Amino acid sequence: MSSPLVQLSSVSKHFGSQRVLDGLDWQVAPGQVIGLLGRNGAGKSTLLECMLGLRELDGGRVALFGEASGALSEQARARIGYVPQKPDLFDWLTPDQMLDYFKAMYPRWNTAKVEGLLSRWGFDALMRGKQIRKMSGGEQQRLAIVRALAHDPDLLVLDEPVSALDPVGRREFLRELVDDVIERGTTVVFSTHILSDLERVAFDLAFLRDGKIALQGQTDALIEGARRVLVPATMLPDRKLEGEVRRVREGAMVSLIVQEQGGAVARLAAEPGVRIEKLSLEDLFIEVTR
Amino acid sequence: MPAHTAHLFSIATGSSEPIYRQLVEQVRRLAAAGQLQPGDEMPSVREIAQALALNPMTVSKAYGLLEMDGVLARRRGLGMVVAERTAPAPALERAALLRPALERAALEARQLELDPDTVLTLFATILKEKP
Repeated sequence: MSSPLVQLSSVSKHFGSQRVLDGLDWQVAPGQVIGLLGRNGAGKSTLLECMLGLRELDGGRVALFGEASGALSEQARARIGYVPQKPDLFDWLTPDQMLDYFKAMYPRWNTAKVEGLLSRWGFDALMRGKQIRKMSGGEQQRLAIVRALAHDPDLLVLDEPVSALDPVGRREFLRELVDDVIERGTTVVFSTHILSDLERVAFDLAFLRDGKIALQGQTDALIEGARRVLVPATMLPDRKLEGEVRRVREGAMVSLIVQEQGGAVARLAAEPGVRIEKLSLEDLFIEVTR
Repeated sequence: MPAHTAHLFSIATGSSEPIYRQLVEQVRRLAAAGQLQPGDEMPSVREIAQALALNPMTVSKAYGLLEMDGVLARRRGLGMVVAERTAPAPALERAALLRPALERAALEARQLELDPDTVLTLFATILKEKP
């Protein structure tokens, strides 16, 4: 495997007494399209901001393209595209003025792509001359995406990029990701609560819980390997089973969530009184992040 | 030969069946039902990825499995086509492929001290279940 494009080592971040990231280790390989999942307040935005060097760390290290993220070179910076959760678009400008401003900062600005996106996404001459602050949330979000894609970044970081978009807008955005960004081999880190979008485009998933990456794997394998096993408490050994994610006692029964069922689970499954259910990504999300 | 479009497929998110599996099963069913005929051209990975808004790697994975199973074949210049149906191998030969898995199951059955009748009944039930 090639060396990671993003590497976080023992990253810690707290706000006052609240520990948000707690010795977090994480790697993203070049070309990966990875979805970041976690509950509200789990620290997904903080993680992405720390990753990009936008927040100071309380501990640990982050490297992007092999450089320390707090002191990125101009060249490395120019290879990153970022859509923050709240657009920071210089909203007193018009879209044309804003894009012109950023164009001057990036050597690799792709004007043809910008024009194509703007026309496909309904930015006519009238809208392109309108003050950004007067545009709707969805329009501002689209504009933030256009800006992040404009310089053909090698690393694209998307923090809830579609929260203000309707289903049609979201599908258009996913097509853009698939057709242009993923085709070019861009590395994408994508946080969202819309699991169906992740299922479509994220080949890998990472779950953030208690300030750490609690579970990571290929989306397909995670869905295929996940089972809920309902088993009488008396039949279950105290030690953790192979692939066990969570265990909850429900009266006389225990509900086990397992990933990639090993031999122990197969043996349990053969016993009378044991029920095994497959899980969807949504079930898995709820179980892993609980 | 007819060329098919990505409209051939429909996928559901939120299922316990991953998307690549859904694609594989749909091609299998269509081929078994004769809606896909040997020699038919399949839509390209890129076309499917674009039409269904899927990661191209997911589509490639499905095509790769179908090729390995002999349902699709890669034809130079044409991309993927539906494979000629080969006569299935004799049942005994195919059953031999199952032997390692059954040997493991037999081992576990003995460890669990199950009698053969119980195990065979269980296997008969499993064979009748839908995957």
